[in-house]
Amino acid sequence: MSIGALDASKAYGRAASIGNTLSKAAGGNDGDDQQSGFGAMVENLVGGTADKLRSAEAASTKQVAGKGDLIDVVTAIGAAETALDTMVAVRDRVVGAYTDIMRMQI
Amino acid sequence: MDLDASLGVSASGLRAQSLRMRTIAENLANQDSVADTPGGNPYRRKVVSFQAAMDRATGGTGVKVKAIQNDQSDFVKVYQPGHPAADAQGYVLRPNVNGLIETADMKAAQRSYEANLNAIEAAKSLTMRTIDLLK
Repeated sequence: MSIGALDASKAYGRAASIGNTLSKAAGGNDGDDQQSGFGAMVENLVGGTADKLRSAEAASTKQVAGKGDLIDVVTAIGAAETALDTMVAVRDRVVGAYTDIMRMQI
Repeated sequence: MDLDASLGVSASGLRAQSLRMRTIAENLANQDSVADTPGGNPYRRKVVSFQAAMDRATGGTGVKVKAIQNDQSDFVKVYQPGHPAADAQGYVLRPNVNGLIETADMKAAQRSYEANLNAIEAAKSLTMRTIDLLK
């Protein structure tokens, strides 16, 4: 249990520091720092994934209309899939760290 | 990430090979295309040449089709006096397309396309397995 909790807090710390640098780069506020840091990190990931999904959708729409290139569609959808998988994996990891900390004995 | 760049490089290979495939298809389709005027020139075989091309966005060096050029070898002369394209001596010029060469070229294009597909598959599976480390 103690090792698991230590791992979780380390993972959370890493994620929070990534989030902090991201929010600082975006000019984030100082108050409620960790909350906004995590929020900003998730927002960044979701935004990037959404962009890739949109371009994949645009490529497939063009392909259906007969104007696109099949190879473009395949690469765009592949990139979107990878981005989505990365986002989901990171989210699961960070949320897992959160719940681990919640369950920690005080 | 370099695996993303390798996807782009393989995609450029797919594009180049599909254009080569199209050119081969044109050659095969036109291997009987002769002129319609006496002494006129028939279809001339086309060849594709490739060139390395750097993609600035990813930094990977892909491939692109440099040019589609005409094969300058001689046309085949066939004696066919009644043909509309026959010259004064009764000879008709036929395209310089050789079915055997085109078939061999097609196999090479096919193999290269498949190799690029396999490279994409490998890069994708490596990326996925790396993401799976997080799970």
